[in-house]
Amino acid sequence: MEQQEDRIMDGDLQTLGLQSVLKMLALSEKTGTLFVNSGPETLSISLRKGRIVGLQDEGFPQPDILAMLALIGRVDPQRVQALHLHQQVGQSIPMALAKLVELNWMSAAEMQQRLEFAVTQSISHALHWVNGRFAFHRQMLTMDTRLQPLDIDSVLLEALRQADEWEKMGEAYLTRTTAVRWLQEVKRDVRSLGLDREAIAVLCLSNGEIPLQAMALALLIPEARVARLIAHLLEFRLIEVVDTALEAELQRDLSNLIIKYQAKLAKKQQIARPEQRLLGLAEILSECINALLAHHSRYAKGLRGRGELSSGEASRFLESKFVPQFQLLAKQYPILDTAEFKHGQLDCSSILTLQELVRGDQLEEFYWQAALGLAAYLRMVLSEVLREEFGNSVTGYNLNVVWKAFLNEVDNEMQQYQVYRAQRNVQAARSGNTAHLTSSLPPPNAGPQRGEPREMNTGTYWLRETQSR
Amino acid sequence: MMIPTVLVVDDSPTVRKIVQMTLQREHIRVITASDALSALTAVADEMPALILLDIQLPRMDGYNICQIIRKHMQFRSIPIIMLSGKDGLFDKMRGRLAGSTEYLTKPFDSAELVQTVKKYLVDWEERVPPQQERVRPRLRRRG
Repeated sequence: MEQQEDRIMDGDLQTLGLQSVLKMLALSEKTGTLFVNSGPETLSISLRKGRIVGLQDEGFPQPDILAMLALIGRVDPQRVQALHLHQQVGQSIPMALAKLVELNWMSAAEMQQRLEFAVTQSISHALHWVNGRFAFHRQMLTMDTRLQPLDIDSVLLEALRQADEWEKMGEAYLTRTTAVRWLQEVKRDVRSLGLDREAIAVLCLSNGEIPLQAMALALLIPEARVARLIAHLLEFRLIEVVDTALEAELQRDLSNLIIKYQAKLAKKQQIARPEQRLLGLAEILSECINALLAHHSRYAKGLRGRGELSSGEASRFLESKFVPQFQLLAKQYPILDTAEFKHGQLDCSSILTLQELVRGDQLEEFYWQAALGLAAYLRMVLSEVLREEFGNSVTGYNLNVVWKAFLNEVDNEMQQYQVYRAQRNVQAARSGNTAHLTSSLPPPNAGPQRGEPREMNTGTYWLRETQSR
Repeated sequence: MMIPTVLVVDDSPTVRKIVQMTLQREHIRVITASDALSALTAVADEMPALILLDIQLPRMDGYNICQIIRKHMQFRSIPIIMLSGKDGLFDKMRGRLAGSTEYLTKPFDSAELVQTVKKYLVDWEERVPPQQERVRPRLRRRG
């Protein structure tokens, strides 16, 4: 009720466009807030005596202006971090710019230019809205801005010019939310392509996270020009368009995988018997590898755009990529020879059922070799999956960090086992019982081969290895 | 616009990092702690809008931490979501008795985590404005 009383006028954008509304408010020198919304996007424009004093664009998350300025070399990222600027200013662009002025890293004139640009950019975009509503409220919205009042006519003139430029552009596949990232596979010398300074700046901002609209704000170039530069870089195959929705889905899927296997690992850590614990570790690693392979068969870039694939095709794709690596690894860890690829999955059942054939120290040793081999293979599969699916993106980097944390937990588990083995060997050596220990352990390459009877040789692998550790 | 801060307490670096990555994508600030002492320090220093608390922690478990937080008037209103690998009724009851707001069983779905966290962050600005304001000047001083 209170809000309704506060409202001076409202209406449909189809009846009265944003341009007309703004002109009317400028002429009558109104003070208050104009809310314009179309679909999920909302613009709040604060006016004082018919001049713009603030604007909030709620359609998009606020871009990280400090990070963008760091990427184009305008501010020093290390100093930004050292001064905890992100914590101080949060996501607010006006606050970030004001802080830069306070630190003498930016002139007040540049701050005003950037704020003015942001206002023009948002209004230019909103001028395209046909369906939607507007409402003008008498009350001023409290906005965190250092903007000097702007003349509506000059803002509208520039906004219309920018909107016109967009329409003439014709790059229909690029929108203001399009994000791009540079391709890792670039082999040519970028300097030989004759790129100008603006194109290089766009290239610097192409990290897969920054939308076109934010790039324009960082570079103070109209969005249409940024779109043209992006199109140019795409032609040169220096960058690629990022599908943010797909990337979010990929991240969710891989995150769920990590959460699942971390929880399993934590549960297995409660097992006291070493060979059972090693078996548990090998089980988790093999399941994790298979889950990653299944994920990759759904999301691999190499399989995208081919329509619905048969499971055979996906399996062949996976096997062509991952079997050679596995075979190489099997030379180092012969126990892996007993596992095999079936339908795009790694079948480790022969390793995981070894307890039916082998017992005691030999069993423990085989499990240990399997855990080592599978952990190494998991690393290989993972790095390939992340490289292929995410390239140079920030999401890929973040996932890499998380997976590394998980692999570190796996390594810790293995280190604990090594310590346990070392302690046991020392105790055995002290009690003069080394003969028993060495006689039952296999040599390093004594893994059972496929089709061969699993008979153990004798050797001194563990004793020497443990001593060297 | 103020950004809510979520404290993640878990001894597993994997869980800490994954929750951090997932929530940061939703524009939520995340701070982490790996044990009881650093968790309680973070609660006092940062006054988070929500706490994600693992039960199995070294030295002091999540139930005890939850009880300590709930004993303080200042922090009583902070929602605490327990994270645990145990999904038995007894464990959930114990969490509730210790003062937890919600219970998430590991392995949780990242979308479910975001949904649950957002559910308790809807009114966080109304719930804890004085304390959040108190934190800001301190952060500025650090810079």
